[in-house]
Amino acid sequence: MNIYVINGPNINLLGTREPEIYGKETLEGISKECQEEASKVGHSVKFMQSNYEGEIVEWIQDAIINKVDAIVINAAAYTHTSIAIHDALKSYSGYKVELHISNPHLRESFRHVSFISSAVDSVVAGLGTDGYSHVIDLISDLPIKVN
Amino acid sequence: MSNGKLLIINGPGLSDLSSDNVTANEDLSLSGIEQKCIETSGEFGLEVDFRQNDDESELLSGLINDINNFDAFIINPAALSKSSVINYDAFSSAISEISNQSKPVIEVRIENIFKRNVSKPLQVPESGLGFIGGFGKYGYVLAIRSINKKLSNQ
Repeated sequence: MNIYVINGPNINLLGTREPEIYGKETLEGISKECQEEASKVGHSVKFMQSNYEGEIVEWIQDAIINKVDAIVINAAAYTHTSIAIHDALKSYSGYKVELHISNPHLRESFRHVSFISSAVDSVVAGLGTDGYSHVIDLISDLPIKVN
Repeated sequence: MSNGKLLIINGPGLSDLSSDNVTANEDLSLSGIEQKCIETSGEFGLEVDFRQNDDESELLSGLINDINNFDAFIINPAALSKSSVINYDAFSSAISEISNQSKPVIEVRIENIFKRNVSKPLQVPESGLGFIGGFGKYGYVLAIRSINKKLSNQ
């Protein structure tokens, strides 16, 4: 299965950004864990991060064109603002997972609204940085159709 | 030998999943979910107690009485969070207590509750509550794997 893991703004600061919330793991470390998990179960994972909304929209469009089987998206702060990412995800017909390292519903009220949640199949939050590899692992168990 | 004791509680309404057509591509029943949970916990050597109760007070007192007897918790509030303020508050303080003891606790919803806006996630500020929704019975599998990882890191 082909999977895109798309990360939004400030996720590149992982490991140094508020480690009490996001943990000490770095983005590079998470990417490596995902690749390892993927190779165990025979998936191919493309791991991406951008601080730019438009670039994230283009990656989702790229997933549509390339018939990618699943997207795992941590839109970070764009979760709470981006109708453009919502629209792009709506146009993508593969399996979609929204992921957050912390649980936004336990934090500031401006994080309680997500423009992503209603456009995806499933939501994972607050499992820490291990959430990524757990989701990659789980995707192989799900009864989803492969392109 | 057990690697930990896991309590899974399911709230009101989950006794009958036959009308739930959201996850139409899988055969969904409470006993099927329980089976999956026992299977997954077994892989990791976790002991599991799987409960469902349509009576909120009973479910709640069961949780409160057993906080000290388990190492990790999965909670599917189902219809609970929209019914009673008193029970909701008691649920929240139980979750805070679990977090204070540094034990993993994850809310699992069968469907993506944000799609139809039928229900809100539990909001227990300052707790370590995780959230998983929309994976059908596989949400429990994900929760158990995450809990196992957390317990083995402790």
